[in-house]
Amino acid sequence: MKRSKTALVAVLWMAGAAAAAPQETATAESILDKYVEVTGGKAAYAKVRNAVLAGRMEFVGKGIKGSLTSYKAGPRKSYEVVEIEGVGKIEQGTDGQVAWEKSALQGPRIKDGEERALVLRAAAPYPEWRQQFPKVELAGEDTVDGRACHKLVLTPAEGKPETRWFDKKTGLLVKSAQIIKNPMGEIPAEFVPGDYKPVDGLLLPHRVTQKAINMEILVVVESVKHNVDLPADRFDLPADVRALAEKRKKP
Amino acid sequence: MTRRQFLPLLCFCVAAPAQEMTPEQRRLNLESFDKVWTTVRDQHWDPTLGGVDWPAVRDELRPKFEKAETLAECRAILRQMLDRLGQTHFSIVAGDVYQEIDPGSGDGSTGLDARVLDGKGVVTSVEEGSSGRAAGVRPGWQILKIGGRDLAPALERIAEAYKTSTMRELVLTRAVTSRLAGKIGSQAKVEFLDGGGKTVELEMERRRPRGVRASFGYLPARHVWLESRKLDGNIGLIAFNIFLDPANVMRGFEDAVKSFVGCDGILIDLRGNPGGLGAMSMGMAGWFIEDADRRLGTMYTRQTPLRFVVNPRLPWYGGPLAVLVDGDSASTSEIFAGGLKDLGRARIFGTRTAGAALPSVFERLPNGDGFQYAIANYISEGGKPLEGAGVIPDVEVRLSREALLEGRDPVIEAAVSWVRAQKKL
Repeated sequence: MKRSKTALVAVLWMAGAAAAAPQETATAESILDKYVEVTGGKAAYAKVRNAVLAGRMEFVGKGIKGSLTSYKAGPRKSYEVVEIEGVGKIEQGTDGQVAWEKSALQGPRIKDGEERALVLRAAAPYPEWRQQFPKVELAGEDTVDGRACHKLVLTPAEGKPETRWFDKKTGLLVKSAQIIKNPMGEIPAEFVPGDYKPVDGLLLPHRVTQKAINMEILVVVESVKHNVDLPADRFDLPADVRALAEKRKKP
Repeated sequence: MTRRQFLPLLCFCVAAPAQEMTPEQRRLNLESFDKVWTTVRDQHWDPTLGGVDWPAVRDELRPKFEKAETLAECRAILRQMLDRLGQTHFSIVAGDVYQEIDPGSGDGSTGLDARVLDGKGVVTSVEEGSSGRAAGVRPGWQILKIGGRDLAPALERIAEAYKTSTMRELVLTRAVTSRLAGKIGSQAKVEFLDGGGKTVELEMERRRPRGVRASFGYLPARHVWLESRKLDGNIGLIAFNIFLDPANVMRGFEDAVKSFVGCDGILIDLRGNPGGLGAMSMGMAGWFIEDADRRLGTMYTRQTPLRFVVNPRLPWYGGPLAVLVDGDSASTSEIFAGGLKDLGRARIFGTRTAGAALPSVFERLPNGDGFQYAIANYISEGGKPLEGAGVIPDVEVRLSREALLEGRDPVIEAAVSWVRAQKKL
């Protein structure tokens, strides 16, 4: 049950705001820039100050269902809440400094290290790939569901490299894989985004399947709204998380 | 004797109708057989299945399965197949459980809990407001017959079959409690031997069990309750019947711990608790551990190990902590008790737990039955597996009919004495 919702939701928000540079030979940079281009382009992404995503989720074959709502605002603020039938709420977020999680199962905790870095990296709506990954490499070609793909390895400043597959024909992201690190351990996970639909000039995945260990989680996005009037305290730390953060400051 | 099938989260069995199957049912049953076999082959945490020749098991049992005439026969063969693994948390749940017109109608209760003590079925508690209480039943009364049938022969057969198994106590308890339970509104006819040595025959209505009905995925629904109270001598007691319904149980547990923060000690009673959501154990343990990165144990899946890391909570309770267990404490109860024992944080009182602690999931089969299978092995923080071994109490204390008839609970008494001794130190 303790899976990283951060990584799953991050796939839904994946994009970037860099301009496409004309290239004759594909490079990792040009492939990532092409993804930005085909999903809306730099100008369309630049218009987004905040975003709210709502959807439903299902643990495939396990009879477990839930809902997901994700709020993101620049530069690095996020709040996500997942409600799972029979479990209750699992919340996580960041105010730009403290990354946290709080669940009915385990209570509040503060995220450190690679976990924290992943939350901050994925916090803004459609974070620019150049800001997320100082190192990107073209790792060859592959076939995903019968589609010829470029395979890229993206290494963040802190954390393990991620692998992403982009359809050579459409430029769209069709699969990603990463090691999700949390206090329980390091969990290999795969994400398959699909069902791209236009929202405010952006082409966004409306379906993501996550596979990790023995679980398959399907997220279906029901709505994405941009530049919404959000409450001023949307990204504030919950009181019990704030108490934990204060305790850490004490010598 | 290979380990028997174990349904750690069920205390009832539903008899399948012995009617012939249609061609469509046969097809779905066969798909279900293949799904069970393939899932074990591909998902068991040990690719070698502990040395079991799994293809040979299929070759032996699939032809028999194909010839099975009834759903009951099919289920029996599937259970035989899973039994070859010799592990708990592999089970088939009859689909009827998910299809009741009136959910919960099959789990009617008289309010009596029971254990088998010295070979005899004995009432260990009687719920307030229950039909058992209204009928005058008292703890310590021996159960002689249920529904007109002597209990003793069944208990003897089970005791013999399970004499070397850690699950002996659990299976014996289920033999009694499953016979006491039944359809809500039905009558339980029970013959007792009361405290004065007199035979008493009573009819008690089976009513909706106490607690809130809760479910999780394809885990059959259960009624969940949590209670807490202060014992004499400023000692807190928390008891809950299953690790389920975290939204309510975790909140209730938190409220209880916070209310006991000034107590000389806290007792957590997990006797009879069959387990449930493993993650709840980490959250609950967090109220008693101040340091981060402490763990109750580790589960080993085929892909990766996962640590049951304790999440420290505020305000944490640092006083004496006792956990009460018995042979019916299973799965997540064992993870919780065993982990806190291995961390040196809790003292364990009671009797050895069931030794049935494998993380598992529930799925539905094509024929509508439920299929539980273990996805990982579990090793407690002390380095030993709980499966097949159980948690050995620091202080072994057994219930006795005599003590129960006197209105005493020797396990609680022992834990309270220990807490008081800590205060004097």
